[in-house]
Amino acid sequence: MAGTLVALGLRAIKHVPKNAPLRSAAAMSSYTRTLIGKREIVGFGFNGEPSYIDRADYPMPAIRWKEPNADIQALREKEKGDWKNLSVEEKKALYRASFCQTFAEFKAPTGEWKSVLGISLMFVSVALWAFYGLKAFVYSPLPDSFKPENRAAQLRRYIDLHANPVQGLASKWDYEKDDWKK
Amino acid sequence: MFRTTAVRAQSIFRNALTPKKAQAATVSRFMSSHSTETDEQFDTRFENFFNRKDIDGWEIRRGINDLWGHDLVPEPKILIAALKACRRVNDFALAVRLLEAVKDKCGPKVDEIYPYIIQEIKPTLTELGISTPEELGFDKPELHLESVFHIH
Repeated sequence: MAGTLVALGLRAIKHVPKNAPLRSAAAMSSYTRTLIGKREIVGFGFNGEPSYIDRADYPMPAIRWKEPNADIQALREKEKGDWKNLSVEEKKALYRASFCQTFAEFKAPTGEWKSVLGISLMFVSVALWAFYGLKAFVYSPLPDSFKPENRAAQLRRYIDLHANPVQGLASKWDYEKDDWKK
Repeated sequence: MFRTTAVRAQSIFRNALTPKKAQAATVSRFMSSHSTETDEQFDTRFENFFNRKDIDGWEIRRGINDLWGHDLVPEPKILIAALKACRRVNDFALAVRLLEAVKDKCGPKVDEIYPYIIQEIKPTLTELGISTPEELGFDKPELHLESVFHIH
């Protein structure tokens, strides 16, 4: 029984109908109709989805921006004639029927970088105040070895130990004159 | 029980498992290859594509989107062919969008390339009655659209 079921399942996987893409396209179109309404599908777009997006790298979207209405239909009839007879307003209306934003509009700077920079600097200032607060109230003072005289004593000790005599500290120290080499 | 399953599975996968000799002869090798097309051939190919008499709006859009995937500003003769194709399918908006896209494609050299292209295609623009984006006032942002991320 289970074997039969498995076999039937595998057979179903193997025998994918040849017209599967067509069928899914038909199913998609009824669903996309609810999304895009009466908008005309005019192209492939950037990925084959019937969606509208203004992109500079794919300048021609897959659908027109506006659903056709009486005004646009009238304009489309006029569009079939000589384009010299179209007024500037009609030309702009035709453009706006097909496209949402012009290149100048969708590439216009938004000024968002200012808020990004401002908010980042606010976080930086909070971090700095936190650091100084911790330094003032939480951490104990630095150990004695950070004091200048202690650090000078430690340097003297390294010199006396001939530390790093080839290229480092001791190689720069003149032991006969007891001073740095000039 | 398991034997039944195995036998059936074997019968199903048999085709996939046995090498297909007939196909092996025609299978193409997946190796990188460089295009030997010259620039002139490229231009002519796209010009011929847009010059097709039976071209429709879908094909024009596909041609432009394909062309825009290349790292180049299209030659004026390609643009003239594309504009005439827009005229044949009666789509004015497409022609203006194409000019806008050309201007964008010029990138940082827009001051050098765009005037040259307009100068070259000016006779076609006049002949077909196409306005440049500048004449329509599309060179500056005209309408504001609230970002979809800020609507709600």
